[in-house]
Amino acid sequence: MTGGPPALQVNGLSASYGPGRPALRGVTFSAAAGQAVAVLGPNGGGKTTLFRALLGELPVAGSVRYGGAPAYVPQTERSRLDFPVSALDVALMGAYARTPWYRRIAASDRALARRALLRVGLGERAAERFGALSGGQRQRVLVARALVQDARLLLLDEPFAGVDRASEDAIMGILDELRAEGRVLLIATHDIEQARDWDRVLCLRGEQIAYGPPAPTLTTEVLEATYGDEIVVLGDGERAVAVQHHAH
Amino acid sequence: MQRAVVAILLLAVAAGLLGAWIVLRRLAFFAHAVGTATFPGLVVAGPWGLTPPLAALGAGLGFAALLARLTRRGATSSDAATGLLLTGALALGAVLASDVYRSGAGVDRLLFGTLLGLGDGDLWLAGAVALAAVAATAALARTWLATGFDPAGAPALGIHAQRGDWLLLALLAATVVAVLPAVGALLVSTLLVVPAATARLVTGSLGALLPTAVALAAAEGFAGLLLAYHLDLPPGPAIAIVGGAGFALAALASAPRQRRAAGVAA
Repeated sequence: MTGGPPALQVNGLSASYGPGRPALRGVTFSAAAGQAVAVLGPNGGGKTTLFRALLGELPVAGSVRYGGAPAYVPQTERSRLDFPVSALDVALMGAYARTPWYRRIAASDRALARRALLRVGLGERAAERFGALSGGQRQRVLVARALVQDARLLLLDEPFAGVDRASEDAIMGILDELRAEGRVLLIATHDIEQARDWDRVLCLRGEQIAYGPPAPTLTTEVLEATYGDEIVVLGDGERAVAVQHHAH
Repeated sequence: MQRAVVAILLLAVAAGLLGAWIVLRRLAFFAHAVGTATFPGLVVAGPWGLTPPLAALGAGLGFAALLARLTRRGATSSDAATGLLLTGALALGAVLASDVYRSGAGVDRLLFGTLLGLGDGDLWLAGAVALAAVAATAALARTWLATGFDPAGAPALGIHAQRGDWLLLALLAATVVAVLPAVGALLVSTLLVVPAATARLVTGSLGALLPTAVALAAAEGFAGLLLAYHLDLPPGPAIAIVGGAGFALAALASAPRQRRAAGVAA
């Protein structure tokens, strides 16, 4: 379900964390309903900055147009694993924005949260403590939370990082369903090969390097401009690997 | 004694509820430091003609402002800056009490609390913070839960994280001021941290943590008052002894469950 008028339109977006040089600039792209966009770039290249700008957490220049508030699926490592919350509690957080503080969460939202957990294959584990689940299962719970938010635009921050194969398959299946429902997905990833499976790729390195369908966009030149010396091109130039240097 | 029991029961509501959030949000050291930082304010309250709660609140807010200033650029970590300011506040209070205003025996009362000096104003303040803690927990539980659990993701859930954090810290400052007369500047953690930390060991959900922390604060506070009355001790240390014993028992009782949980996580 791709094509049609843009559901997300970003024109000349720049975002900064304070006065001075913007952390990200010159970003212009659009995505139609049902499209999945892989957001590629090195660490510090602007993937998180783009997400924070789209979430309205950073001052931006340029324009951003989409319907409603986006949902954000963070990496599970950024959640507090010792918090006394169950998988269902976390999924229910997706209903917070539409529940006034003086009301209990509606029965319909509780049912929605249970269905969302079922959809990600964790219906049986709704009562389990979030921190006791595996990394992949926790990531699926965070996807369920976004399903409860029922947003038309989902921002997923490396949803496949460190997850087991079963969870990767489950998350991939859900993302395909969300695309079929006409939602727009922005997926930050370091996996260049996986990015080739999505509808569009957006390459960032402090600014927009390239945007378009994966096959014509992910050229050796674009990848080198995006990753610099962090890219290794394999074989006949058809495959490339990003070598990420993490500071610990 | 009757007045002290009423005060402790009221304070247990505020300290138990807020203590649970303080422990969950890892603000225990900060809470202890705010309490200690009120010491110089309490020392100068009498000589300067200020009411002790107002002087304590001023000192606590001054501490928070200095902490924010020290940590703004990230050169000094939050816990190092908190430790530095805590030591400075204690030293300043000690110098003011011993060499400037010669507070004498009154220093013990400021540092460790008293059973005798609780007035109507202290009871009203205890009642007000209890009411505020109940109201704030009802109104902000989701905000505090989402922000504490997932700070990066909370704003995307429609949560006003910063506003919620400021309200939590303001309420914490007011509660610290309210518990000072009963347990003293050095031992605010006996009511604000120890019962909630104990409750955390024996409960597995927020719904159970909050009432358990309030019940433990009330029980430990009451038992500590009885101990202080019969052994002629200041109430702060007596409540601390009871709270410490309660924590040790809870830690022993919950050890097998914690080991199982650690095994699952590994």
